[in-house]
Amino acid sequence: MIINMVLVGLVAFGTTVTHGGPLHSVFNALVGVLLIAGLLFFLSTCVGILRFPDFYTRLNAAGKGDTLSTILMLVACALMVITSAHHVDRTVVLSAIKIIMIVNFIFIGSPTATHALLEAAHWSEIKPWKRNDPPC
Amino acid sequence: MLIAIEVGLLILVPCVAFVALWLRDLMSAVIVLGAYSFLMCLVWTGMGAVDVAFTEAAVGAGVSTVFFIAVLFNTTRNITFNPLDVSSKLVALVACLGFGYVLLQGVSDLPDWGDPYSPVNAGVSTYYIENAYADTHVPNLVTTVLADYRSVDTMLETTVVLIALLGIFMILKKDRPAQSDSSDTQAHDSLIIRLSARFIAPFIQLFGLYVVAHGHHSPGGGFQGGVILGTGLILMAMSMGMASAKRLLSIPRMIILAAVGVLIYAGWGAVPLVYNGYFLDYSVWESVFGSMARSHSMLIVEIGVALTVMCGMYGIYMSLVSDGGMQEGL
Amino acid sequence: MMGLFLVAALVLLAFMGLLLYRIVVGPTVIDRLLAVNVIGTKSIVILIIMGILFDRVAMFIDIALAYGLLNFIASLAAAKYFRKHKKIHHVSTMPAEVSHDH
Repeated sequence: MIINMVLVGLVAFGTTVTHGGPLHSVFNALVGVLLIAGLLFFLSTCVGILRFPDFYTRLNAAGKGDTLSTILMLVACALMVITSAHHVDRTVVLSAIKIIMIVNFIFIGSPTATHALLEAAHWSEIKPWKRNDPPC
Repeated sequence: MLIAIEVGLLILVPCVAFVALWLRDLMSAVIVLGAYSFLMCLVWTGMGAVDVAFTEAAVGAGVSTVFFIAVLFNTTRNITFNPLDVSSKLVALVACLGFGYVLLQGVSDLPDWGDPYSPVNAGVSTYYIENAYADTHVPNLVTTVLADYRSVDTMLETTVVLIALLGIFMILKKDRPAQSDSSDTQAHDSLIIRLSARFIAPFIQLFGLYVVAHGHHSPGGGFQGGVILGTGLILMAMSMGMASAKRLLSIPRMIILAAVGVLIYAGWGAVPLVYNGYFLDYSVWESVFGSMARSHSMLIVEIGVALTVMCGMYGIYMSLVSDGGMQEGL
Repeated sequence: MMGLFLVAALVLLAFMGLLLYRIVVGPTVIDRLLAVNVIGTKSIVILIIMGILFDRVAMFIDIALAYGLLNFIASLAAAKYFRKHKKIHHVSTMPAEVSHDH
């Protein structure tokens, strides 16, 4: 978590030093790439949740794809908050740090929820899907 | 520009609400109501009502779904229809119609919708908007109205939370002999859940304290902070077992602290009476705090609210999930 | 750049609509729980994107932080529910099963 905060500080410092320079357009391109990558991963998550045959495979799609796409899009938002600010002050850096904190909490909380769901499915004796079974 | 997002939400929210009503399984309906709460929070945010959105976030994500599940845990999740049982429904229908008629009679006393000459629009709200910061030095207008101008309202709302806690506690309370094997149900709990709950719980508590203390400057305040603090305790009770949660905050201490919260609020309001002031008139503290008297007084009453709400959420959860026995739960 | 964020929020909402299919159809309760969980995490992202579009991120970030911290508690409780009530399929037509449930 401290490493993340240091990274945010470095990015903020970089934007202030080279204001409007080449670093700015690099960050802008990075925001676009991260956002679109997050959307693509979320698309695959949705397709997985809708199309996979049983609960365990759907959980696989949701657990990984959801966490990854959320993290990518939140990082894009944090970068956007810093680069789009007219002048980087304490409020902007604090907002970016809070977004990175959300990333950390999701990184811990979302897999825990997935694990708990898996345990629930195990307790309630849902049968895994076999080849040639009808999808449920 | 944001109208597109709001149109999307306008399509999604009724769909989710309809699905929640259409599902016959109560457990599924509770879960779908969780999604409804998420989307409603986005709607409030789009309207700019951030304090309402914060309440919706804290209550919807934290406690409301957990309360519903705790109730279903001790009852049943099936709706059973008995088409022959008409008489009780008739009684309910008559009661609803009668009470609705009384309420409608009460509505006729209120000013018309959007009436520019009603007392609210003529004087009160413009006064609040223009003078709130000069009076109290608090940037968040919602906190100022709730905890300063209208603080008798908020005090009684806090009392309502206390009464709800006491009501649920007393109705469900039963004296069961202490079972020696009560820790057995929590024994085979997964290590992953216990560890991550233990990791996140301190951050939840810290964030709750931040919301209580920073409610003057950003969305939040005593109620939201109290709900978040209570959710931290609920998380501990859920993942570590009720025995370890009771070591953190025992049941008698919980009841006492909930009452102490209301006492802080009312006591802070009663002190000005001694110095020839009005009830809850914070300006008598100016000799101590200077110009920040009303701001600091608001912080103190918010702490009282947070204490009551925290104990209320924790106590309601413990009562509901253990069916009043306070021994074993989820 | 703002246009890209607006489009991203709209696409997220559209995908949420797709997930509604799983909520409606989902044969078991935890399928629905799965879809609701995904909607919950994505609403955090939409909150922050709305903050960027309004240019008031510092205002909205606390709400998103509350969601990020509290999001998994509901699914934890729902998962623990099934330790005692093992039947995951909903039965309402057979009265014998209903009485057996509790």
